[in-house]
Amino acid sequence: MKIKYIPIFTDDLERQVKFFTDNLGFEVCDKKNLLTSRECVVMQTTSPDIFMLIAKDYGYGNRRCNIVVSTDDCLNDYHHLKLAGIQFYNEPQYTPTGLRAEFADPSGNRCLLLEERNYNDLT
Amino acid sequence: MEYLRTLRNNNVIYSGTRNNFNQQTTSDFSIRFVFSGNERYSIGKRQLSIHTDSFLILNKGTHYTSTVESAIPVQSFGISFDDKFLQDFKNSWRLKDDTLLNLNTYPFINRYEHEFDETIYPFKGDLFFNVNHLKHHIGRGLQDELLINEYLHHCLINYFQIFNEEIFQKAQRLNFLSKSTKIEILRRLNLAKEYLYSNYNTNISLDELAEYACLSVTHLLRTFRQAFHQTPHQFLVQIRLQRAKDLLKNTDYPVNEIVNMVGFDCPSSFIRLFKDRFQVTPMKYRLSF
Repeated sequence: MKIKYIPIFTDDLERQVKFFTDNLGFEVCDKKNLLTSRECVVMQTTSPDIFMLIAKDYGYGNRRCNIVVSTDDCLNDYHHLKLAGIQFYNEPQYTPTGLRAEFADPSGNRCLLLEERNYNDLT
Repeated sequence: MEYLRTLRNNNVIYSGTRNNFNQQTTSDFSIRFVFSGNERYSIGKRQLSIHTDSFLILNKGTHYTSTVESAIPVQSFGISFDDKFLQDFKNSWRLKDDTLLNLNTYPFINRYEHEFDETIYPFKGDLFFNVNHLKHHIGRGLQDELLINEYLHHCLINYFQIFNEEIFQKAQRLNFLSKSTKIEILRRLNLAKEYLYSNYNTNISLDELAEYACLSVTHLLRTFRQAFHQTPHQFLVQIRLQRAKDLLKNTDYPVNEIVNMVGFDCPSSFIRLFKDRFQVTPMKYRLSF
């Protein structure tokens, strides 16, 4: 497991993207629907393995996830984290980008465990 | 790696190289895969061949023989689900999630499921990923049966999703008023599909395909297109290209030989079709590994 995406929620997507592009030198590299039912702008940070996800804020408050942990096997990590006593909000769910499950850290922050799957490679 | 793993709840997982000839009766509902080569199953008069891009469902009590007809070693992988596990799964998940399986739209799913499921399906999507993870973990000696059963549970979710896509969503496309007619036509179209999957590398005439599917040629062409949004020939070309891709990736056969192995007559049309489909030429695709 490793941190791959850091979600940022905003009322003004364009302004937020411009802020990171102009001031921090990040680059827009993709658009993906990684968070539930919202398309995010994916920005490459200066660290090659870490990306920002800029998403429209729909006012979900504390239902927003704060960090996206990338895994190559969601079921395996879900199972072991549950055995370790970590509380999950849901069972692993299938989405067009892969398999995901959300869990809480001890302070109640929401984290997303995400196994991205490239279904296009199979066709 | 060869193993036969029987879990405490009687689910069974098999992995290994198949013998040349194997005659058996399935004791439980099973899913059969191959990870290299191909394996041919005889069930009654039907000859079904599975490759790395497809899988086969065998119902409890089905008599079959399997033979290996492949130039490369055939790595088989199979999962048999205990009756109780399967029933628990159906009760807890499938009936709960009626939107996914359109139980309201298709109340006949339970009635027809058993009749339909014993055929070849595309090995794709989440089932592909989950089976690969499961195989990887067991191959590395995973003992945790809770985790293994979690994978098996998800394999069933994935299978029923494919079943729903391949059967009920496609039956819905057929232009017949009667549900039972839709089901019967789709059953016959599935026969045509399994014939194409299993004989993709031979010259298949529309007449023999229609005869196997118990449909007239005109009826076959019309309904096949309605259900699958492509003609039988387009479907056949798709299988051939997919299998050529597999051979390019996993073997050293020259391209010209692969062209013949998958049933194309002409290398230049193969290269054109391959490039149209995968946006890369066969040689460039091979060199990318």
